[in-house]
Amino acid sequence: MSNTVTRIRLAVVAAAAGVAVLAGCSSPAPSSDASAASCEPAKGKVTLQYWNTVPGMDKVVALWNKKNPDIQVQMKNISNDQYGTIGNALKAGKAPELAQVGYDELPFLRTQNAFVDASACSAATAAKSKFVPWTWSQSSFGGTGVFAFPQDTGPMALYVRSDIFKQHGLAIPKTWDEYAADAQKLHKADSGLSITFFDPNNAEAFNGLLWQNNAEMYKYSGDKWHVSVASDQSKQVADYWQKLIDAKLVRTDLAHGSTQMYTAYQKNQIASYVGAAWGYSMFRDNLPDQAGKWSIVPMPTWGSSASSGDWGGSTVAFMKGNKHLYESVKFNSWLNTDPEALALENKLGGLYPAATAGSKLPALSQGVPYYNNEKIFDVFADSSKNIDTDFSWGPTQKTVNLSLQDAMAKATAGSGTLSDALSAAQATALKSMKDQAIPATAGK
Amino acid sequence: MTDIAPRATRVVASTGGRRRQRGGGPRARTIAAFLTPFFLPFVLFYLVPVGYAVWQSFLVVRRTGGQYGTSYTTFGGFEQYTKVFQNDEFWSSIGRIGLFGVVQVPVMLFVALIMALLLDTPLLKLKSFFRITAFMPYAVPGVIAAIMWSYLYSPQISPLVDGLKSVGLHPDFLGPGAVLWSAANVSTWLWTGYNMLIMFSALQSIPQELYEAAKLDGASNWTIAWQIKVPIIAPSIILTTVFSIIGTLQLYAEPAVLRQISSNISSTYTPNMLAYAVASGNNYQQAAAISVVIAVITFVLSFGFMRLTSKKAGL
Repeated sequence: MSNTVTRIRLAVVAAAAGVAVLAGCSSPAPSSDASAASCEPAKGKVTLQYWNTVPGMDKVVALWNKKNPDIQVQMKNISNDQYGTIGNALKAGKAPELAQVGYDELPFLRTQNAFVDASACSAATAAKSKFVPWTWSQSSFGGTGVFAFPQDTGPMALYVRSDIFKQHGLAIPKTWDEYAADAQKLHKADSGLSITFFDPNNAEAFNGLLWQNNAEMYKYSGDKWHVSVASDQSKQVADYWQKLIDAKLVRTDLAHGSTQMYTAYQKNQIASYVGAAWGYSMFRDNLPDQAGKWSIVPMPTWGSSASSGDWGGSTVAFMKGNKHLYESVKFNSWLNTDPEALALENKLGGLYPAATAGSKLPALSQGVPYYNNEKIFDVFADSSKNIDTDFSWGPTQKTVNLSLQDAMAKATAGSGTLSDALSAAQATALKSMKDQAIPATAGK
Repeated sequence: MTDIAPRATRVVASTGGRRRQRGGGPRARTIAAFLTPFFLPFVLFYLVPVGYAVWQSFLVVRRTGGQYGTSYTTFGGFEQYTKVFQNDEFWSSIGRIGLFGVVQVPVMLFVALIMALLLDTPLLKLKSFFRITAFMPYAVPGVIAAIMWSYLYSPQISPLVDGLKSVGLHPDFLGPGAVLWSAANVSTWLWTGYNMLIMFSALQSIPQELYEAAKLDGASNWTIAWQIKVPIIAPSIILTTVFSIIGTLQLYAEPAVLRQISSNISSTYTPNMLAYAVASGNNYQQAAAISVVIAVITFVLSFGFMRLTSKKAGL
């Protein structure tokens, strides 16, 4: 509720100023697209701005700065409001040279002309072979331009409380059918015990599940986007989780990463977790008492062939206005392919590298004490190999995710279904693209 | 006294106007010097942004060819406004806070009034203690208050929920039917003390002679409260109501925080949340149009209420 006249004024100003600041003073004339950048090395010392959200990245940057007196990097942590900060900077024409951008937001920022094409630098195009193919494809938008270097990925797997599974005589599920059967058995044995939780407010996790089932939601051909968010593959996943929700076999009252979620795990109310590689440090750091009780196994599959999904992960993008492409490429390559840098990022930030060499890092081939010294990164490495490389994100993904979440929440509250949520997201995708004057049509 | 004050201001204002018209000379310069510190920020941080938002709301995005193309904005007339009025989510968010306001505002102001009247009676001891305690929540920033309450609402970790469970109650503060009222409770908790203080200040300015006269006529404390005090402080009650109407229409922090633990609050739960969600999807022009519509509705409702009540109250 409001208080004084100041507050009234503040609110109006905030609403208006927010818009004003965000929109900057851009002229209504078309701005130039990301192209025709040159790759000349600078004469003398250069300072690059690099914005990111990774814990411990300051130490990685300090290492670089010590080794490279001529290319100094200043970093800023933008974890608080990553895309808001980047968006504001872009509108104001003050974007940093490099910024961290999630794969799913790359097309969204691309439609805002946020990037510069670094392909003028031969070192940038040559980097292609160093990364997991789908990550390169997503950050180059499937073309020849180089707009970002992949940093980390989130290959998915199943985290299992092996002690609870053993106690109830359950086998590790290989398929989603077996997983549902296990869910049933657990619930029958103990009504306070669920196999997992479904967070209706987490479109990213759900997208990972859709990705696993080869649900290709966006394609560009014939001068327009083809939107198939509500495809049969997507609906198969939605119907499956809807059944588990309806039968009350999964919890729907826990937000991912919340205190409530950890409390539920702490109280042994949940027996597994469908998660990504970066989740390994999350459990290790938040549930230290459960060391030795967790195992990481491949994600259950839809058929007999191995397939996996990806949840999260990000890139380091070359931002619009970058005047030091040569130096930026140099730093970006080191940051995301150098074994020393990658090892440090994995240790401090929990990153699972997108560089193919990453899986050969000593730290990633050893057993992890928290997980009974299991070589959990072997599971993630396999998972990474089984991810559908054709999957791509839409140019208004942020808006679509919000709409999907709103409708998923309705479904878990008992009005509508997850399948309806997909239809709502499909409609939002088409509408939001129309609002941005992006030509789009429904269907493949 | 309260009756005279507004008139006095009006007189000062009008003579000020006449003097300015005659204008010129060192006097005008002095006035300008005093007013600049106010007007410069007012223009820079108020008029310019509002004007910019209005201008943005008349623009639409167009794009030149290709998969990602290049976007530019152009004049689109009332296109953004048409979209706002056709947006079901916008109207449901308005309906939601309408319901919120119709219930929460009277409850909060009634409680505030009772508290103010109690503080004003000679019966109550430890007045300054109660005044401070009641006012204290206002000192807590809205976001912090919402975080604090979300802890108390959360079924997994709340001592409040545990306590209620032990006496056989099973409240679901975050359920689809309850969450709006849980948010209303946070607002009430935050603002009741503040509103009480405004009403209490008004009560303090009532001359004691009035009470003495009433007592001589044999009026009870109850009669004095309802027949004398409440009518005299009517302008403050109206003022707090207007602030509350405005606050309701701009509701953001409480539901936005509760949203993190309840999936029953959508990203478009209140009009301000809708505007934010739209802006975060890079649709600034649409967000500007939504903001302008919210501002106009706020203006119409608050000034409409003021006119209506001031006529009735004979002010």
